[in-house]
Amino acid sequence: MKHPITLNVNGTPYSVDVATAQSLLYAVRDQLGLTGSKEGCDDSECGACMMLVDGRPTNSCSYLAVQADGAEITTVEGLGEGDELSPLQQVFLEEGGVQCGFCTPGMLIAATALLQANPSPTAEEIRIGVSGNLCRCTGYDGIVRAVLRVSREGASV
Amino acid sequence: MAAVESKQAQQVFIRPDGKEKVTGVGRYTADLNLTGQVHAKFRYADHTHARITRIDASKARALAGVFAVLTHADVPEVRYGGMVQDRLMFAKDAVRFEGDIIAGVAALTPEIAAQAAALVEVDYEPLPAITDYESAMAPGAQLIHSDWESYGAEDMGRDGNVLGHSTVIRGDADAAMATADAVVSGRYVADASQGAPIEPRAIIAQWQGDKVTVWTSTQVPFAARTGVATVLELPESHVRVVVPLLGGGFGSKCDFHFEGHVAALARAARRPVKLVFSRHEEFIAPDHRREGMAVELETGVRKDGTIVARRARLVIDGGAYCGEGGFFAQMAAMHAIGPYQMENVSIDSYLVYSNNQPSSSIRAPTAPQACWAVEQHMDEVAAAIGMDPVELRRRTLIERGKASATGQIMDEIGIRETLEAAAEMIGYGQDLPDDEAIGVACGWWPSFGVNSGAYVKLNGDGSGTIITGAMESGTGAVMGLPILAAEVLGMKPEDFSILYQDTDAGPWDMGSSGSQTTFNNGRAVICAATEVREQLLDMAEKELEASRGDLEIADGVVRVIGSPDKSISIADLAGSGTPLLGKGSGDVPEAGPSDIASHCIGDLGLTAFLAPQLITHAAHVKVDRDTGVVRVLRFAAAHDSGKIVNRIGADGQVYGGVMMGIGQALTEGTTFDSEGRQINPHLLDYKLMTASDGPEIMIHWEEVVTPNAGPKGSKGVGEPPSVPTSGAVGNAIAAVIGRHVNQLPMTAERVWATSQENGQ
Repeated sequence: MKHPITLNVNGTPYSVDVATAQSLLYAVRDQLGLTGSKEGCDDSECGACMMLVDGRPTNSCSYLAVQADGAEITTVEGLGEGDELSPLQQVFLEEGGVQCGFCTPGMLIAATALLQANPSPTAEEIRIGVSGNLCRCTGYDGIVRAVLRVSREGASV
Repeated sequence: MAAVESKQAQQVFIRPDGKEKVTGVGRYTADLNLTGQVHAKFRYADHTHARITRIDASKARALAGVFAVLTHADVPEVRYGGMVQDRLMFAKDAVRFEGDIIAGVAALTPEIAAQAAALVEVDYEPLPAITDYESAMAPGAQLIHSDWESYGAEDMGRDGNVLGHSTVIRGDADAAMATADAVVSGRYVADASQGAPIEPRAIIAQWQGDKVTVWTSTQVPFAARTGVATVLELPESHVRVVVPLLGGGFGSKCDFHFEGHVAALARAARRPVKLVFSRHEEFIAPDHRREGMAVELETGVRKDGTIVARRARLVIDGGAYCGEGGFFAQMAAMHAIGPYQMENVSIDSYLVYSNNQPSSSIRAPTAPQACWAVEQHMDEVAAAIGMDPVELRRRTLIERGKASATGQIMDEIGIRETLEAAAEMIGYGQDLPDDEAIGVACGWWPSFGVNSGAYVKLNGDGSGTIITGAMESGTGAVMGLPILAAEVLGMKPEDFSILYQDTDAGPWDMGSSGSQTTFNNGRAVICAATEVREQLLDMAEKELEASRGDLEIADGVVRVIGSPDKSISIADLAGSGTPLLGKGSGDVPEAGPSDIASHCIGDLGLTAFLAPQLITHAAHVKVDRDTGVVRVLRFAAAHDSGKIVNRIGADGQVYGGVMMGIGQALTEGTTFDSEGRQINPHLLDYKLMTASDGPEIMIHWEEVVTPNAGPKGSKGVGEPPSVPTSGAVGNAIAAVIGRHVNQLPMTAERVWATSQENGQ
């Protein structure tokens, strides 16, 4: 059975028909063509699929598309302004927070949500804040430094 | 002491693939879709060891929406594998582990493909499964490969279930052991573990006429091409392998895996075919995981710390097939010795078949487990003579200019300096609460000298393009190549684009493995850029009417030294239409000789280490005595990887490698049931470290500019950061609970149980 829903993704409304069992991740990847959000486990274990759903960091692999009907959704593609990188995106690169990049979309979403909730986190709070996102490459050090730097420099997220 | 420098002091290098990665527009293999593509699923073995008596795919083929079902009968019978050709694409007469593939299906949707795969009928005669790999060596044990003698293989001491046997023998260990003041023995057993990249692998194959293009998440595109060409009996010119962005590998995506299956399915389906692994498949199906290992050690020592002899016996779980892990017996033997001076060694190392998932290279294969055993053993040796463990290492690590235990002269090495640096950074010797302690461990790892190729060309506007066979797995090694080309050509790194990961474009390269990209492809890029430099100078000589010796290239121009107005820009020279194209490989460095290779069994050339990378790690841990839970609070990593070419990239390897090493130390273990099936093939029970588990990591680079090595005197960087990590953590745990944990990973349960044995 298909359900007509509206997904507001990165400020653009999309009308789509989705199957009951369709995940938000695959509605966005396959039907909207936004492939920045990744599947690493399909089980909410790795966080590579993380999106903001009405501002809350959400593992979109384990969230039905029909649950997101009408919600405001932000994916990694919506973090910058046009061709300009967001401060977090820029500083992730400068601090070595990106290697293979597969966890990066979800990690940036988690870090964005963290800074929106707590603009001045400690290193410990950052580590806890992104602990739902697995990264195998960086050892998290560059990621933590990047989030700290953005918060200290007071850049808007 | 140079710990981590401030950011301002470093060269801030933004990786050229960075913007596409942080904006989400970068494409990984699973992000690609081709018009008309259908989807692949595999039917895996229903037993971990069984004879196959019948395969009937007719019901699967009859299902609506199915385009192709392939079994062994539908593809050439070609056995493949690294040092032993022991595997078929599709199982024919037998299955030997849970990931053996019976059939492949291509269908309109992944769901139909899965349904069809389940409809393939297979009859088996189950055979006894060997999951306790040490028992595979017992007389009369069930053979995993009954026809092992018929396989093509290198001379590596094979015998029945023994896939490889290597000895390292020097001096007379038996006689010397009798002269020791103390003899210490121990047994350590490491579980298997996983590379566990966050990207599960994906493959798409599309035929155009009799040629196939394969997009795949591999670390080794040229090996993948050779694999497809071999199993489908095609010329390599008919196979093009393209790697979109790769989401990590850590060794698990080395070697040829499933590209042949998908190419064969696409040919049969007459459609592009896409395969995307689930996380479960990423755990169980690849013939690539870190090998389980049982290590027995005996060391004789004098009261002054002199090691008079070392004996060791290692048994390594090779799993069901050789893959590319055939060198493991000798490599592990080298790590059973470590970077220490000793005159008498006798090491026996066995790589054995079992019905477990096959083992192959994961980041520094064999080293973390063997080093974990040896370094805990070294602390026990120190205790036996009442010596501080760091002092014992201070007295026994190889001195610059002295011989290793295999008789290789070590001219330019900084192992002793890494010991002092790590001890200082961690604050060794400080007073700590009684549930905290510091552990130290040392290790080594070779650099790999192999051929590698690159082209450098200049475009009409004076920008440059590097066309390389090298593979970027995420480390930044390929991304750093423009730094080297720019230096040669007086240009800026950002002036270069890179064309990479396409076997039809760049020259052959071994791939993202063996910490070899900067070491070998860096040399190739410098060589190619130097050819272009010569071409530019040839042109400028005429344009400027100057002699060669008076010219320099800098800041994007060729100019006469001392006459800044006599210059011509590289853009003007390149814009003339004259092709400016250089190619390079360079001379491959070779290791100095050991003095024992000729009388070792199963010698594969590893008794001497080319440009050895040397490491000391120090871990400061806290142990909860009630639960056995260990937390690493602070960590110091001191490395001699020669001259560091790209600091942000090198640091990134240490941060990531240490965290992987801590995971291997504490939580990461693949466990098998009594038949060899993985019990924990998912990320909830196979626990990677999270950010909140991470300690403060301090880094020191002991920059020994190394002759006969990589560009600028560099060595490899990527694998050593995981080598002594678990040894350092283990020694710290033992210093708290008073006893060494002899199983890896050192889980909370094992730490607690070990502390109870001690009566604490």
